[in-house]
Amino acid sequence: MDTSPEKISDSSDSGKLRVGVYICRCGGNISDVVNTEHVAGICRRIPGVAVSKVHTFLCSDPGQQTISDDIRRENLDRVVVASCSPFLHELTFRGAVQRGKMNQYLYEHVNIREQCSWAHKHDPHGATAKAIALISAAVGKVSRSVPLEKIRLPNHRRALVVGGGPAGMKAAADLAACGIPVLLLERSDRLGGKLHTLNRLFPTADAAVELAHKLASQVMSHPLVEILLKSQVVKVSGFIGNFEVAIRGDFGPSGRTTDVRTTVGVMVMATGYRPYVPADGEFMYRRHPAVVTTVDFNDLLTRRDCGEGTLMFDGRPIRSIAFIHCVGSRQVDGVHTPGPDGRLHAYGSRVCCTTVLHQALQVRRRFPGTRVYDLHQDIRTYGRGHEEYYTDAARAGVVFFRYHSAEPPRVTGTNGAKSPLRVSVKDYLSWGEEMNMEVDMVVLAVGMTPGPCETIVEQLKLPRGEDGFLQEIHPKLRPVEISVNGVLLAGTAQAPMNIQETLAAAGAAAVKARAMLSKEQVELNPYVAEVDTRLCEGSGACLAQCDYAGALTMTQTRRDGHAVRMALVNPGLCVGCGACVAVCPTRAINLNGWRLDQYDAMVDGLVRDIAPSAVN
Amino acid sequence: MAGKFNSNRRLAIAEFGGKDVDLCMNCGTCTTICPLSEDSGGGFPRRVIRLIQTGRESKLMESLDPWLCYYCGDCTTNCPRRANPAETMMAARRYLTARYDWTGLAGLFYKSALAEIVAILAVGLFVTLLFVSLHGPVVLQRVELNTFAPVHWVEFGDWIMAAVLSFFLLTNALRMAWWVLGGKKMLRISPLLYLRQVPVFFEHLFTQKRWRKCGSEPGGVRWLKHLLLVSGYLSMLTLVLILLRWFQTDKIYPFYYPQRLWGYYATLAILYPTADFMISRGRKKEPIHLFSAASDWIFLVMLFLTALTGIMVNIFRVNGLPVATYVIYVIHLSIAVPMLVVEVPFGKWSHIMYRPLAIYLAGVKRAAAPAAGKSTGQAAAAVAA
Repeated sequence: MDTSPEKISDSSDSGKLRVGVYICRCGGNISDVVNTEHVAGICRRIPGVAVSKVHTFLCSDPGQQTISDDIRRENLDRVVVASCSPFLHELTFRGAVQRGKMNQYLYEHVNIREQCSWAHKHDPHGATAKAIALISAAVGKVSRSVPLEKIRLPNHRRALVVGGGPAGMKAAADLAACGIPVLLLERSDRLGGKLHTLNRLFPTADAAVELAHKLASQVMSHPLVEILLKSQVVKVSGFIGNFEVAIRGDFGPSGRTTDVRTTVGVMVMATGYRPYVPADGEFMYRRHPAVVTTVDFNDLLTRRDCGEGTLMFDGRPIRSIAFIHCVGSRQVDGVHTPGPDGRLHAYGSRVCCTTVLHQALQVRRRFPGTRVYDLHQDIRTYGRGHEEYYTDAARAGVVFFRYHSAEPPRVTGTNGAKSPLRVSVKDYLSWGEEMNMEVDMVVLAVGMTPGPCETIVEQLKLPRGEDGFLQEIHPKLRPVEISVNGVLLAGTAQAPMNIQETLAAAGAAAVKARAMLSKEQVELNPYVAEVDTRLCEGSGACLAQCDYAGALTMTQTRRDGHAVRMALVNPGLCVGCGACVAVCPTRAINLNGWRLDQYDAMVDGLVRDIAPSAVN
Repeated sequence: MAGKFNSNRRLAIAEFGGKDVDLCMNCGTCTTICPLSEDSGGGFPRRVIRLIQTGRESKLMESLDPWLCYYCGDCTTNCPRRANPAETMMAARRYLTARYDWTGLAGLFYKSALAEIVAILAVGLFVTLLFVSLHGPVVLQRVELNTFAPVHWVEFGDWIMAAVLSFFLLTNALRMAWWVLGGKKMLRISPLLYLRQVPVFFEHLFTQKRWRKCGSEPGGVRWLKHLLLVSGYLSMLTLVLILLRWFQTDKIYPFYYPQRLWGYYATLAILYPTADFMISRGRKKEPIHLFSAASDWIFLVMLFLTALTGIMVNIFRVNGLPVATYVIYVIHLSIAVPMLVVEVPFGKWSHIMYRPLAIYLAGVKRAAAPAAGKSTGQAAAAVAA
């Protein structure tokens, strides 16, 4: 214990401490197994414990009131609650402690429900003994707690939106509408993104370009939105409220490529997707001009010269088309080879099925003489109004075939037959019979792959999922946040989405960003690393372990008149992972709230000999 | 197993009533639900639907599946896509009937109710005119039907008609066998095999026993009604074709005399089921009665009217009303003859031939190729077993 910092040495003197221990029965959930009264009795013997009480529902108002009242009445300076999981009620009791005018970080939570009564319900004695040991450890830990304060940093109330597609424009417009100044960045020379490559949108048949214009006019007309075209982020660092960004682009009166630096409080990643590009020769792609992707085909359908009554391509009438689903999607290890990005695309992109049906239906309606074959693994028209495309396509005479992923269709040339391409498929709707069809065109339904965002991802260490898309913290509870605080996800940078979902996600990101920028200062949990300046010998071992750029740096400073090298923590960037703590040879670096001496005390507490063998 | 997907043709099944084939997503609910599917080699009835969807006409021509379905309608009731598989099977039967028929008349009648009605009216008019111009002396004192229409002349006409109709029906049946047994391959099958299966044909012709397994209706009531109808029909055919000299007499026998009893039985056995079927088709309660093509109605109405006028001849004759007897006799034949001429080889009636023949051919096919491929071979094996 000689390594514990001096400033807490007073409070760690258990003789002067007054710890309140509160044990919850949880309405029987705990007390049916754990002998809570006995636990409370034993806990009174732990040195420093001034109050030890049992309550049926501590989380109830009277239960919380007991704690707040006791802090004043009994002059408590530490509180331990033994109840359910801290995920459920740690914050509840922190609040109760604060209402008793005590620092909320002088509180410890012990889980004796999930970890004792529920886990060991057939062993009440064992569960009771375990509860005592856990509480004893918590008393040990809390005895060495020090009052902490949330880290408060200046908050730059300005947002950077990366990407001027539908998601970026929507997020920018929504943020500006809340009064937040926005910097909207787009690498191409116009806003709109992939909307310019789409034609009519399902399921509403809106013109994509019109949607792009509507969104663009919203951001362009808003005085709070600054739009930078032909520009991109070249350098980024910092943390929530304080991101330093270097942007390179053609701006200013000179029109030359220049770099500008700026500071923003939050960043919205609206970097979008790239369509999968089939490999050379994949289904004869790039080997035959009439093998195209759904992206190319969409382009063809928008062209004026694609024919009236008869679909024309390359000067030839197209009388039959085979659509092949899942090209570069739902790939199986051992069947498919990884693409140029080294990835196997095991996921499906959700929108491609409806895209195919949408295109197939357009063909059948505009060019009734063109026969359409649809080769799929499954039809996944999951969205509202999407299934109608399947029904309509079936009604319109599209013929469906089903293949297994291990036996994809084969495309070959016919060498001068009437139609240039032959597609063979083992059709599982026909009991696995091999079907051959000669067609004038093959359309490959390609999915989405992650959009360009490498610079930011690498510099801010944004996590990607197995599929390469940016990964949210929790798919349900925190769907638009990423583990780097202050960075938000909007649209297909995160996962394949349709436009409805993209705009919904962008709206959510905007709201979340707005909330993050609502305060003058950024408040962060105090659980970050702190260097004991008396002990640090500047070995740099911690720096080597740190995964978070800028969270740890080495500085030259003076100690006792000598120049020394020392580690310095940037609390805005430190996530409190503790990797540095584990490697420090002198125990000079510690996590606030989880210091090594607190662990020592916990271990002492666990083995404390307080529980007599007679547990009734 | 490689099958060329016939990309150039979609089977024109819609003209025969199969309007919802495209809606089928091949989920296989119909196959799971069908009580006959398992002993039909699996894939039934979806296989027929799939063949239609992929335009594989030769496979469909080869298939016996449509004839193995008795239309309980369970598949249609349970189809999640409302693709109406039962009616598709019905349409497939119509389609096949049209394809078996080399004259093209069956197809014409199925596609155009007008053509069918015109044909019936024409033949009916021809019969009427025949009687108007060639009838014998009209005796008004008492009923002398055999003077008005001498039985040997009528019998002669019967046999001519029977010969002509049999010719059409048998040639069509031969075409069916040709496709089902794989064209020239049928010539290589030993005649013994063909002979050995003959009892199967008659067994199913007279009993339709497979039908009893069909559908969830308790006790096979529909099967019983249909069996009654067949017995009445075959009775009438026997009385008219073989026993006409005994059946058409001017002498009035006592009520219990077999000539009269058998006639009354046949009449009732036709009148009751046809009336019942017409009422059901009108009510549209059960799946089988939801979709009635013109051909279904014409068949039932003609059959009902034939039996009705037939029994009226008897009533007038027994009650000694000469003119009424002669007139209704002419009307009776003007209905019965066109019904037979149009329906037997070219219309719905032909199923009395094709259904047992399908089971017969399945048996032949199984016997000829014990280790044949999965689809039809297995179906054949299962059906004939």
